[in-house]
Amino acid sequence: MAEVVFDEASRIYTPGATPAVDKLSLTVNDGELVVLVGPSGSGKSTALRMLAGLEPIDAGHLRIDGRDVVDVASKDRDIAMVFQSYALYPSKTVRDNMAFPLKMRGMDKAEQAKRVNEAAEILGLTEYLDRKPKALSGGQRQRVAMGRAIVREPRVFLMDEPLSNLDAKMRVQTRAQIAGLQNRLDVTTVYVTHDQVEAMTMGDRVAVLRDGKLQQYATPSELYDRPVNAFVAGFIGSPAMNLMDLQRSGDGVTLGGSTLPLTREVADAAGSADTVTVGLRPEDLSLTSEGDGIKAVVDVVEELGSESYLYAHMAEHPDTTLVVRGPGRTRVRYGETIAVRVDPDAVHAFDASSGERLAS
Amino acid sequence: MTSTLERPAAPSGPPPAPGQTPTRSARAEGWVRRAPLLPALVFTIIVTQIPFLLTIFYSLQSWNLVRPGSQQWVWFDNYVSVFQDSQFRGVALNTVIMTLGSVLIAVVLGLVLALLLNRHFIGRGIVRTLLVTPFLITPVAAALLWKTTLLDPTYGLINFVLSPFGVGEEAWISDFPLASVMVALIWQWTPFMMLLLLAGLQSMPTDQIEAARMDGAGAWAIFKELTLPHLRRFIELGTVLGAIYLVNTFDAVYMITQGGPGTASANLPFYIYQRAFLGFDIGQSAAMGVVVVVMTIIVATFALRLVFRSFGAAEGSN
Repeated sequence: MAEVVFDEASRIYTPGATPAVDKLSLTVNDGELVVLVGPSGSGKSTALRMLAGLEPIDAGHLRIDGRDVVDVASKDRDIAMVFQSYALYPSKTVRDNMAFPLKMRGMDKAEQAKRVNEAAEILGLTEYLDRKPKALSGGQRQRVAMGRAIVREPRVFLMDEPLSNLDAKMRVQTRAQIAGLQNRLDVTTVYVTHDQVEAMTMGDRVAVLRDGKLQQYATPSELYDRPVNAFVAGFIGSPAMNLMDLQRSGDGVTLGGSTLPLTREVADAAGSADTVTVGLRPEDLSLTSEGDGIKAVVDVVEELGSESYLYAHMAEHPDTTLVVRGPGRTRVRYGETIAVRVDPDAVHAFDASSGERLAS
Repeated sequence: MTSTLERPAAPSGPPPAPGQTPTRSARAEGWVRRAPLLPALVFTIIVTQIPFLLTIFYSLQSWNLVRPGSQQWVWFDNYVSVFQDSQFRGVALNTVIMTLGSVLIAVVLGLVLALLLNRHFIGRGIVRTLLVTPFLITPVAAALLWKTTLLDPTYGLINFVLSPFGVGEEAWISDFPLASVMVALIWQWTPFMMLLLLAGLQSMPTDQIEAARMDGAGAWAIFKELTLPHLRRFIELGTVLGAIYLVNTFDAVYMITQGGPGTASANLPFYIYQRAFLGFDIGQSAAMGVVVVVMTIIVATFALRLVFRSFGAAEGSN
C-alpha cells in the first residue's frame, strides 16, 4: 500500500543529449493501477526502471509513501517487478522461483511454503510447482513471474510489458486476469505498455509519454474524449483518429469541398491562423445517402463482423485520407465513392503548429 | 493464385518402402558421399590404431634393448609387475594430483578473473589481452621461463620478490617439485578457463540479475543462486577439456624437474618415457602404456558423457 510520486524526475544517459525521461511529474495514488504508454523510445520503460531502482535518477525526486528513494537500493524499496522476458531463474523450479524473494528476506520455511502455495492457487500453478521454467508454456511462465511478484506482498507492483510475449488470445485473457488480481490485492501498480488498447482497458489512469515528456495523465475516458494535443489524439483509439490540416473558411474549415463548422470557442482560440488540425474519430463518422456528405473514394475495406472500417481518400483532395466506421455488413466496395457525415459535436481541433488542443 | 495453392503437391517420387534393400544407385551415392572422408579415416587408423596394436604386442614380451637377444614371450607378466610396481602407483597418484589439482585451481582462478573482467573498467581490453597471453606461449618456453627466470634459487624473480619477507635462496624446484610443475601448468591454463567462463558470464541474461536484485538478493546471493548454476556447464566443460589436455603433460615435467627428485614429480607419460627411452625396457613400458590408455578411456567416457548431458539438457532453456 503506497503512494508513488515522481517529482520532476529525470534520467539523462549522456549529458547534453535529450533526457530519456524529462522532468516527469506524476502521482500514483494508493491502490491505483496507472499505465505508462507511449511509442518506443518514449521513456516509459526508463521511468519504470527508475522507480524500480534499476536506473539512477539524475535529477528531481521520487517518493514512495513520502520517502525519497533516489538513493535507496532497489532491494530496499519493497517493490516487485514483472519483466517483459519474465526473467525467471532457469535453474530453479517454479516453487523455488516464487519462494526466492521470500528466501532472500530470511522468511522461515513454513511461511514461505504457505505463501507460495497460496499464490500458486490463485494463479492456477499448483500442479506445475516442481517443474523448471523451460518446461512451461509462455502463459504459464508469465503467471510464475506474476506469482514471484505477489508472494512478497510488496508496496508497489511494476509491470514492464508483461503481455507482449503472449499470443493475441492469451493476451486478452491475461489482461483481464491481471486487472482482476490487482483489484483484489489492491496494490499500487505501475504498468508499462506500448499498446494503447491495454492502457485503455487496464488503467485507472493512463500517462501518455512521448520523447521522455509526459503528454497527458488522465482517466481512459478523458484521454479518449479530450486529448490535450494532436499526439495523444492520434495515439489513443484504434483505428487512429483522422488528423487533417484544414484551411479555415469563415466560421469553419474546408473539408472535401464542404464546410465543417467549428464552435465559437475553437474559432476564437484559433485566432487568425490559416489552418487548423482537425481530428475526427472513425467512429464519429458515418455513411450517409444524403447529398450533403463529404465525398470520398474507398481504397480498402476491413470487415470485422460487428463493424467495418473503410479507408478512403477525398474525392477532390487525393492526399487527404480518412478512416470511416461503417456497419458490419457493408455493401461498399473498393473504388466506390461514399458520402460521409461528420458529427459536428465530435470534432477535435488542434493548433496546426503546436498541436495543442484548441479551446476546452 | 488460389487454384495453384489448392492443387495437391505433386509427389516427388515414391518413398522407399521400409525394409526394402537400397538400390544399386543409392548404394553408389552413399559411397560418393563417404569416399572423401576415407583418406582421413585411413590415416587416423594408421597413426593411432596400428601403434596401439603394436604396443599391445610388445607389452606381452620381455624385451630390453640393452640386452640383445632378450626378446621373448612372457604374456601377462609385464602387467603383473606394473600393478606390483610401487613407483608406478606413486606416479599414477602424481598424475591425478597434477591433473585434477592444476585444473581445479585454474578453474577457481579463472572464475575470479572472469568475474573481474565481466565488469566495466577503463583499460579492460588491455587487461584481458595481458591475461590471455600465458595461453599463447609455447608450453616448453613457458616451462623454461618458470624454471630459470622465476623459480631459480639464486637468480629467480620469485625469490627476489619474496626477499623482503625473509625468504632466502629457496630452491623451489627441488623442495616442491610437484608444486613447481603445477604452478607452471596452472599459470598456462588459467586464461583458458577464464575465457570459457567469461563467455559463460556474458551469455547470462541481465534481466535475471535485475530481477534478483529487486527480489532482495545481495551480490553474494546472486552469485551463489544464479551465476554459479548458470556457469555449471561451463565449469564442467572447462574441467573436462583441461583434464584431457593436462593428463598427458610431458613438456613441463621434462623441462622443469625431469620428473625428479626420484619420481617425486613424474607423471605417467613421463615415467613411461623414462622406462622406454632411458631404461630401454620396451615390454614394461608398453604394458604401462596399455594400462594408462584403458584407464584414460574409462575416465574420459564418463567425463564426456557428463559434459554432453549437461549441454544437451541446457538446450532450449532459453
